[in-house]
Amino acid sequence: MIRFAPVELTESERQLQREVIAFLDAELPRGTFHPGLGFNAAIDRGFSQRLGAAGYLGMALPIAYGGHARSAVDRFIVVEQLLRWGAPVGHHWVADRQSGPVIAKFGTEAQKQRFLPGICRGELGFCIGMSEPDSGSDLASISSKATRDGDGWVLEGTKIWTTSAHEHDWIIVLCRTTPRAEVDDKRQGLSQLIVDLKDPRVKATPIPFIDGTADFCEVVFDQVFVPDELVLGEIGQGWAQNTSELAYERGGPDRWLSTYMLVEELLRRESATGGGVSDELADLLGEAIANYWNLHHLSLSVARSIDDGGAPAVESSLVKEMGTRFEQDVVTAVLAYLDEAPNAADGSTFGRLLLTSVLTQPSFTIRGGTNEVLRSVAAKGLRPSGVSR
Amino acid sequence: MTAADPLLVETIERLLASVSTFDEVEHAEATGWSAGVWRAVADAGFPWVGTDEAQGGSGGTLADLAAILHAIGRFAAPVPVAETAMVGSWVLAQAGLAIPGGPISVVDQPGELRDGRLQIAGVGAWARHAERIVVVAGRTVCSLRPDQVEIATGANVAGEARDRVRVEVPLAEIDHAVADDADVWAAARRRGALSRVIMAAGALDAMAQLTVDYTHERRQFAKPVATFQAVQHHLVTAAQSAVRARMAADVAVRALDSGGGEFEIAAARVVVDDAITVGTRAAHQAHAAIGVTREYALHQLTRRLWAWRHEWGTTKQWRRQLGHAVATGGADRMYDLVTG
Repeated sequence: MIRFAPVELTESERQLQREVIAFLDAELPRGTFHPGLGFNAAIDRGFSQRLGAAGYLGMALPIAYGGHARSAVDRFIVVEQLLRWGAPVGHHWVADRQSGPVIAKFGTEAQKQRFLPGICRGELGFCIGMSEPDSGSDLASISSKATRDGDGWVLEGTKIWTTSAHEHDWIIVLCRTTPRAEVDDKRQGLSQLIVDLKDPRVKATPIPFIDGTADFCEVVFDQVFVPDELVLGEIGQGWAQNTSELAYERGGPDRWLSTYMLVEELLRRESATGGGVSDELADLLGEAIANYWNLHHLSLSVARSIDDGGAPAVESSLVKEMGTRFEQDVVTAVLAYLDEAPNAADGSTFGRLLLTSVLTQPSFTIRGGTNEVLRSVAAKGLRPSGVSR
Repeated sequence: MTAADPLLVETIERLLASVSTFDEVEHAEATGWSAGVWRAVADAGFPWVGTDEAQGGSGGTLADLAAILHAIGRFAAPVPVAETAMVGSWVLAQAGLAIPGGPISVVDQPGELRDGRLQIAGVGAWARHAERIVVVAGRTVCSLRPDQVEIATGANVAGEARDRVRVEVPLAEIDHAVADDADVWAAARRRGALSRVIMAAGALDAMAQLTVDYTHERRQFAKPVATFQAVQHHLVTAAQSAVRARMAADVAVRALDSGGGEFEIAAARVVVDDAITVGTRAAHQAHAAIGVTREYALHQLTRRLWAWRHEWGTTKQWRRQLGHAVATGGADRMYDLVTG
C-alpha cells in the first residue's frame, strides 16, 4: 500500500514557522481585519507587497529573480500560517503557488527577468487559463486556439471560472496551436501563452458567484496578438507543462484549511464568557483538531517528497480529495452544533465566515480538479501486490 | 527518533506470514488462544521488545515495538504482544516489578485500594492465558497470579479473548510496588490506546491492499471490477483510510518516544476511528458478497478493526478529552496544536 513518510521539521524550519507567526501578529493583528476562508480570501495588494518585502513570496524561486531558493516545505510552512490566519492572500495566491514556479521551470531568461521579481514582490497577480465553457474535467478538449501571425500568435477563445481576472495582471492560457485534425491525440498540439489581461482585446466579465461576490470571471480573447516572447515553454508541449503545473495546485494546505477560521472563531465566541466549553462543543473541537493534525502531516509529507525529488501526483490527489471533503464536513459539524440560523445581518467575524462557508462550500470539492477526477488519478496509483508503480 | 530496524521488520513479517495464517486465526477464535503463534513470537522475543534487557526485556526501541504491532495488525495475529510489551512490561518496569516470561494481561480499568485490599472489575485481554494479570491502583502496580483472580471468559467482536476479571484480595498477598510516576495509570492507558492505533493502521493497510488485489482479479461485464469508476472510488477511500491511520500512528509514536504524546495519541484515536468506519465500509462494498463470508480473509481484518476501536478507552472519551484540551488552550493557541 502507498506510504506517506512522516516529516519532522528541522530547527531552521521551526524558526521560519515562528517568524511567520510573528510577522502576522505584527502586520495583521487579530481583530483588525476580516479573516477570509482559505485562498478565497480578500485581495489586498498592500498586504501582498508587505509579504513579498518580508521574503515570504517566491519562496522556492531562484534568488537571481528575487526568489529565496528555499524548499517546498518552507513554502508549506508560510502558506499554512497565512491560510490558518485567514490572511488576504487573494492578490498573490495563484502567482505564488503556480505561475511563478511554471515560469521558473519553462520560461525563457527574458520571461524570468520580466515576471519573477514582480511575483516575488507581491506586485503581479496571475490567473489560470485552463477551463472553458465546454471543457472542464476533459481539459484536452479545449477549443481556444492561437494561429501563427508574423512574430507571434493570434489568440481566440474563451476561458471561464477565472478568479479575479478583472483585477489581475496576467493569465497563462492553455490553447491549441496545431489544429486537432492534424494531431493523433488531443493532448498534442497544445501550448501555453502568457497573456496581458490589460490588453484591450481581452475582456474579463465577472460571473456572479453563489455568495453574491463577483470575483469569478469569464475571459474572452478576441484576436489577441501574443508575441513570441510570451510563449511559455515550447509550442506543442502545453499539455505536459500544464500537467506539471497542476501538481502545484494539489495536496497543499489550501486544500484542507479553507474553513479552519470558522472553527477557531466558534471557539473564540463560545469561550468568551470563560469557564470552559460544553461536552458537545468539545466533541466538535476534538474531531476537528484531530483531522487538521492528520491532514497537516499528510500534506507536509507531500511537500517533503517534492523536495526529495519525488513526483507525488497520486499522494497529492489523495490528500486533496479527502481534504476538501473535510473542509465541507467542518461546516456541517458547525451547523449541527449551532442552535441558530446563519443570517446576513450578523456582522460578527464568526457570522460572516459562517454565511460564506455555507454558500461557497460546494466549490471546495470542485476547484482545482473535481474529486471524481482526482479519484481516477489516485486509483491508477493503487497497484495490486507484486506490481510496482 | 530512530527508525525501526529494517531487519527486525522483515523478520516479524516473514514470521507472522508463516504462523499467523488464515486457518490459525480461525482456530484461535474458535478456541480462544493460539499457542503456536504465541510460541513463535515469544521465541523471537517480540513480546518484550521496547523493555530494557536489564529489566527482563528484549531491548530495542519504541519504533521497533511499533513495527511489531503494525505487523500484528497486518496479519491479524491473535496474541497479546501489545498487552505484554506495550503496556504490561512497561507498567511493571515503572514499579520495578519482575517481568514474567509469559503473556501479561493488563486490566483496562484502574483498581481501587480499600481497607488494605485490591478491588477491581474490568476486562483483560487473554487474561485466561496470562502468566500475570496487572492492575494499576493509583500509583500502586499489582502483579497478580492467575489463582488470585476470578476470570469469566468473554470475547470481542473479532473473537479475541477479552475476559472479565474480578479481584478482591488483600494487598499484602499481592506482588506490588509503587511506581515513580504519579500518573502511571494515565500513561498506561495512553500506551494501550496507541497500541490499538498502530495495530489498526496495520490492519487497514492489509485491508486496503487486499481490496485492490481482489478488485483487479474479480471480473464482471468482461473486465476487472477495479476498472469501474464507482469501484475505484472505494479503493481510494480504503487507501486514504490506510494512509491516515499510518500517519496518525507514526506521528503519535514519535511524540511518545520524545516524552510527549498526550495530544497526539488522543488525536490518533479520533482519526483512526473514522478511518475504520469509512475504510471498512468501502472495502466490504468493493468486495461485495465474498467479503461477508467466513471463508474469505477480509473479515479477519475488518472485525478486528471494529473491535480495537473500542479498546483502551472509547473514541468518544478520547475525542471529548481532546476537545476540552483544545478549549483550555484557547482559540489563539488552537493551531499550535496542529503543528506541534
